[in-house]
Amino acid sequence: MSIMKLLSIAARAKVVTRRYPFEPPVVTEGFRGKIEVDPKLCWGCGVCTRICPPNALTLKKREDGTLVLSYFMGRCIFCGMCAEVCPRGAITVTKEFELASLTAEDLVRDVKHDVVRCRICGRVIGPAVEMREATKSVGGAEAKYYDLCPECRKLVVARGIMTKVGVRP
Amino acid sequence: MGEQSRYLPECPEMSEVVRKLTEEYGGHVIFSRESEVYVEVPRHELRDVAKYLYSSGAFLKTCAAVDERPLNRSFALYHIFGMDSKGYDVIVKVSAPEDDAWVPSIVDVVPAADWCELEARDMVGIELKGRRLVRRLVLPEDWPEDIHPLRKEVPHDFRPPSVKAESEFRPPERGIPIGPYHPVLHEPEYFELLVEGETVVDVYYRGFHVHRGIEKLGESPRFTYQKIPFLAERICGICGFVHSTCAIMAMEKAAGLRPPERAEFIRTIVLELERIHSHLLWVGVAAHVLGYDAGFMHTWRIREPVMILSELITGSRKTYGLNLVGGVRRDIDKDKMEKIMKTLEKVEKEFKELANLLVSVPQIRRRAQGTGVLTRSEARALSVVGPVARASGLYRDVRKDYPYLAYKEASFKVPLYTEGDNLARVLVRVEEVFESISIIRQLLDKLPGGPIMHEKCSAIIPVDELIPPGKYAVAAIEAPRGEDVHFLMTGEGRPYRWRVRAPTYQNIPALRPMLRGDPLADAPLTIASIDPCFSCTDRALVIDVRTGRARMIKLWDGGVGTCRL
Repeated sequence: MSIMKLLSIAARAKVVTRRYPFEPPVVTEGFRGKIEVDPKLCWGCGVCTRICPPNALTLKKREDGTLVLSYFMGRCIFCGMCAEVCPRGAITVTKEFELASLTAEDLVRDVKHDVVRCRICGRVIGPAVEMREATKSVGGAEAKYYDLCPECRKLVVARGIMTKVGVRP
Repeated sequence: MGEQSRYLPECPEMSEVVRKLTEEYGGHVIFSRESEVYVEVPRHELRDVAKYLYSSGAFLKTCAAVDERPLNRSFALYHIFGMDSKGYDVIVKVSAPEDDAWVPSIVDVVPAADWCELEARDMVGIELKGRRLVRRLVLPEDWPEDIHPLRKEVPHDFRPPSVKAESEFRPPERGIPIGPYHPVLHEPEYFELLVEGETVVDVYYRGFHVHRGIEKLGESPRFTYQKIPFLAERICGICGFVHSTCAIMAMEKAAGLRPPERAEFIRTIVLELERIHSHLLWVGVAAHVLGYDAGFMHTWRIREPVMILSELITGSRKTYGLNLVGGVRRDIDKDKMEKIMKTLEKVEKEFKELANLLVSVPQIRRRAQGTGVLTRSEARALSVVGPVARASGLYRDVRKDYPYLAYKEASFKVPLYTEGDNLARVLVRVEEVFESISIIRQLLDKLPGGPIMHEKCSAIIPVDELIPPGKYAVAAIEAPRGEDVHFLMTGEGRPYRWRVRAPTYQNIPALRPMLRGDPLADAPLTIASIDPCFSCTDRALVIDVRTGRARMIKLWDGGVGTCRL
């Protein structure tokens, strides 16, 4: 008796299993997969690394002075908090989830940031993009000091004033 | 208190309990909120206090040991008593000075205190006076004697060297091991069934193989209040949203803020979706344990649209990542509402047909009826929770007893059976699926407008400043497996102590009375019937049943419910 009922349920359900990977996977429009960081938009401010619950995003300072925003998919929990907090909208959450790999290095995506060095003393001031964008909003006389570190800037400005008032620096 | 008063109305009976505790037992109130009161009592009065509370109908939810030496040079143990019928919690604190660290055991008065007392001894190093059976519960055998992981001086990433230890307790040699992996539930657990012929005469359990130290991690500088919901969600792979919501409810209570109504509704809807998928998963597994694989596959076929729906609403099939302190991250719009309605209609129709078929299959009925019986008095003594309690005639449901989130807005019934056997537990869960469907429909119908996030909170604003140090909060949620309890004591920018008690923690000790006297062949079903979740319990546990080959695996050092009923 119950066999007949079961058969009728099965006949109505038919085959429901998808022929994945030969058919495209079913993901809904709400799905969150891996993230992508747009190197053109990213400033290297590191806000995303602070909110990231599993520390999948990290900001590393290399010995040559460059800054690297490193995304390790192996740790990512695909929560998308980074995209929510990014002040630049540089992070997008994609629908990609087929990330299997034989080596851990394949799971790392780095965004390298050149840094601006002080034109006088050579100290690292900050990520190049951030500096460039920031100076756009400053403009005028200030703009010529943008590649100086705070210390050298004080010196240069002081020297300028002294020359103007006729005191030998 | 302001906003907090909206959580629950003032309770007149609470003052009577407080009066008794303070006047007769020399206690003093250290903190109170509408639905919670924290009373510190002298430790020599603890047993009498426990006796009084237990006889006036309280269930012991759990106890939490806290290393308070940096604050007041003493250890503390908080026994959380829930007055289910009145809807409030009485938290009884006892302190033990650091150089004389013991508390009286209450396990003979309240049997449900068995596990949490042993855990307090393992993790914080509080000795238990007057307890007959004292042994390790959580820590592995080769863990050094004098290191207690939840003490503040132990770093969260500390790995001590393994030490050889002789276990003082060994099970008799003729046990049938089930584990260390459960063949059906795919989680680590270890049961040893002692048999006479084909009849189980006793059961031993050794768990906590997958203890991940989540509570300790939550207290470490690695985490902040903003990140903890994501950590809490990973306590369990099935009811993760319950844990994240429960942790957040505790934090929100401590902060004294209430999320917008719409966020509460969305949380409730997702909680009920989680119950539907969890129960469908379990019904499938139960059919599989009974060898009825067609039932298993069809249940899971019916469940799949619920998973897809969860992904649509939250962004992920499981570990939704939906919750933040102060609200939720995604809204439910018109289009999603329609999709929820459509999916529910389909699931309801298909599962009704299949469930009727399942419980009418003679092989299933014969295996499930009258096996694994847990009587009402046993259930009461062990404070079991969820469908296990409700199948034994114990009316307990956090959604009714301590209404939280939007449950007051929905009318639903709590399925209750008195047989206490495996069939009753199947039926309770089957009926709950339909109740959940009805709850979601009602809530979608009443879904209020407005924001989904509290104005003071967002992903960008650190919530640490909103949650002051030195506050207490207890939050409870009816998870698919039963009552989930989170105890929070706040610290600077992160929890000072965060205690999680998953439902399975409370239900595993009930397996001993359930399995005793039953045929060996029914043991796998009975173990599965509590819907054990070992990761939760081990966080917090897992159970394994391999019937047949009697290969001895010496993992042995604990027991299911070390107190005899």
